[in-house]
Amino acid sequence: MTDVARPVVAPPAPWDFPVAQTHDLPNGLRLLTYDVPGQYVLSLRLGLPISLRDEPREREGVATIMARSLDEGTERWSAEEFARLLERKGVSFGAGMADSGLSLDLDVVKGNLEPALDLLRQILTEPAFPQTEVARQVRTRLAEIDQERAVPSARAGLEFVRTFYAAQDRSSRPTGGSRDTVAQITRDDVTQFHADHVVAAGVTMVVAGDLAGLDVPALVDSALGGWSSGGRERDRHLDRPATLAADRSRIVLVSRPGSVQTELVVGAPGPDRSVEGGWAPYPVLGFVLGGSPTARIDAVLREEKGYTYGIRSSFRPRRAGGLFLTSGSVRSDSTPESLHLLVEILGSGSEGFSDKEIRSGVDFISKTAPGRYATADAIADEAVSMALDGRTTEFVTSNLRDLRTVDAARVDAAYARFAERAGIGAGPRPGAGWTIALVGDAEAHLDAISALGLGDVTVVRDEHA
Amino acid sequence: MTAISYPLVERTLANGLRVIVSEDHAAPNVAVNLWVGVGSRHESPGRTGFAHLFEHLMFQGSRNVKSGEHFSALMDEGARLNATTWFDRTNYFETVPTGALELALWLEADRHGHLLDAVTQENLDNQRDVVKEEKRQRYDNVPYGTALIDIYATVFPEDHPYHHPTIGSMEDLDAATLDDVHDFFRAHYAPNNTVLTLVGDITPEEGFAAAEKYFGPLAAIPLQNRPRHAQLPPMDGPVRVDRVGDVPNDRLYVAFRLPVDTTPDYLACQVAVDVLGGLASSRLMHRLVRTDETAVAVGGWTMGLVDGVGLGAFTVDVSSGADADEVEQALCEEISRFIAEGPDEAELESVIADTERSWLSALASIEERADHISHHALLTGDPDYVNTFVDRLRQVGADDARAAAAAWLDPGSRAVVRYLSDSSGRGEEGEAA
Repeated sequence: MTDVARPVVAPPAPWDFPVAQTHDLPNGLRLLTYDVPGQYVLSLRLGLPISLRDEPREREGVATIMARSLDEGTERWSAEEFARLLERKGVSFGAGMADSGLSLDLDVVKGNLEPALDLLRQILTEPAFPQTEVARQVRTRLAEIDQERAVPSARAGLEFVRTFYAAQDRSSRPTGGSRDTVAQITRDDVTQFHADHVVAAGVTMVVAGDLAGLDVPALVDSALGGWSSGGRERDRHLDRPATLAADRSRIVLVSRPGSVQTELVVGAPGPDRSVEGGWAPYPVLGFVLGGSPTARIDAVLREEKGYTYGIRSSFRPRRAGGLFLTSGSVRSDSTPESLHLLVEILGSGSEGFSDKEIRSGVDFISKTAPGRYATADAIADEAVSMALDGRTTEFVTSNLRDLRTVDAARVDAAYARFAERAGIGAGPRPGAGWTIALVGDAEAHLDAISALGLGDVTVVRDEHA
Repeated sequence: MTAISYPLVERTLANGLRVIVSEDHAAPNVAVNLWVGVGSRHESPGRTGFAHLFEHLMFQGSRNVKSGEHFSALMDEGARLNATTWFDRTNYFETVPTGALELALWLEADRHGHLLDAVTQENLDNQRDVVKEEKRQRYDNVPYGTALIDIYATVFPEDHPYHHPTIGSMEDLDAATLDDVHDFFRAHYAPNNTVLTLVGDITPEEGFAAAEKYFGPLAAIPLQNRPRHAQLPPMDGPVRVDRVGDVPNDRLYVAFRLPVDTTPDYLACQVAVDVLGGLASSRLMHRLVRTDETAVAVGGWTMGLVDGVGLGAFTVDVSSGADADEVEQALCEEISRFIAEGPDEAELESVIADTERSWLSALASIEERADHISHHALLTGDPDYVNTFVDRLRQVGADDARAAAAAWLDPGSRAVVRYLSDSSGRGEEGEAA
């Protein structure tokens, strides 16, 4: 049998993100439509610039409870009746809070857009927040808090933000609130938060999918034109950066006696998309360090050592400032060595990147873009996320163009800028600049982790539920 | 109602490789999707987890490809790729820019035809360690992580191919040898045990020509597949397993044997399970979450399988302070009521509308569409199922769903797996019939 010669690849043509049509309604709602032929399920997204900081301190979680109660009954329908109305039209609906704001997601087959928009109108403008349903959402969130504490990746994430952000900053505490605050939330709190913040001013709505034969602006205007603006102007995005903890560069180890793996999160402050020198090098950096099975981290920790199923790194931009996060889990008895190797590899950017590494990152990110943004839901998700970031999807296109010019020199400079601002490599301690949260067997590993000299180690023991 | 009509053209190469092409030029991409007719149900005793460990080795080099090069060569050309292993099959897939299609096929043909030239003890040992970490991460180190493993072991008889999970056991992973790798490849990996689906920016003739060019030279093997098992009957009495330990809240899994995938009875069971526990407006949601307030969440799902049985289950997260026994009893009452009454029109309408949207969403991406096409070509022989599934479900009448529930979801034939929080002061972990 003769082998067939390895084929040569023809490079793909340059690609642009689909272009939106923009329609501004008098009440402040901005509608973006993306016509994507062949996508028969339409994806609707709304981004509301509501801040977690708008929650009263003693009622944190109220925005999340409000979001989850939006479709739990309206002025006309009970919670169960409304659930059935959504389901009979094949509508999937969800809403959730994040640092960037409140997002609503609604998917529906093309033929049911009009009734779906009327249901959306009721969700936004006529929610009844029945006492029993709010109380149920509170109980569900309390159970979820217990789950988050029990799942190692979630527990590590909670410990990370608690260590990384300043204690007075909202970002240091769980998005959905803590046990003490959630347990206090009443129907009145939810109703008031909705009245104050779920208004049309500053809201961006996205409709993506096969729009042929549909007059989407007219349908949206008819359904949501009467949504109150709230009688005020509101920016379409939030702007205030989070405050970091002064002592954020340290290690916190959440004790899990007998744990067969150690969960780890290693993070540092990163840039946002407006960073000097451009955003394009940063996704490349994340890819080369920890974005694939062939990246620097997994080449050692997975493919050479066999300590992990996989560890991933990425830059997570926020509207102002951002994060560089690396997370995964390793075999328990490899914990100190894995942590040592991980910090060494994450710091290795200061020694520079090879042209081949950079080419791989640039090629992967740019050439996968047409496929990553081929479906209605992916386009709508990106559009609303850009809107809450104070941008449009033209940024995706311009960033892809800029990406093609990214070379090793630009990535080296980007790493240096990141490392300097984060304090990585400052002084003799190799862990300088990094916040490290671990969930694992503290008894077994504390001494060895301390001996690495990465930084101060604090052990946290959860009370048994 | 949206008509689903994705074009499908199929051809079988002389060596037995079934090739299916579905043309779609919306994006300059092609989804390449291979399903090989081997999964954990083909594993021999003492070698559980092997099909999946083997799948990992498919990324560690082949005759003309270095270890790790499959990933790096494709990612450099803008491919998103991976592989998965399940009871009935192993699949390998990548979505590539159109210009990289032939490279993808060349790489796939090299490993599907000539893996053994490159397999080494070092690679086997390394990937064995990686798979163990995968098992720890997904199953051993998370609350309720081993629940499905308990369900399979409880619902399926000990000598049945679905009794053990695809991830296998640590002992069996340790026992795997290079000889096993060679034997497994020679027994199962061949064009006549494989389906290749191409969806995207390509015509059928281009697709068939490319498949012939790269896979045509691979040789067929004599397949020694036993016939599939006969349909297992429902269990002949309730069975339960209790795990008492460190979980945030009590959780119940109430599971049943079902008919094999895609049969009218399976679809009727699917409707029944959706009405009872799958829909947001399900009966269990109404009873346990909204009325009794003894549960914070409920779910209902079915798992389509081909070797003589399927699986269906309801899951209930028990509210703090509620009694797990009473919750189980209420759940059984709701099933019995469904068996007596059947679904109403609004419930059937909800199942169809909800399924139609989620099915169309699944088919919206070329990679997931290709995966469903490969699935049905390999396991049920009918790739056109992607176009007919919703219509078939629509044909399930109220009486069909009621009768299927009576036959397959009788509470008397349930298996109950319970994960109970040890703070609730119950007895020791154990199994009881």
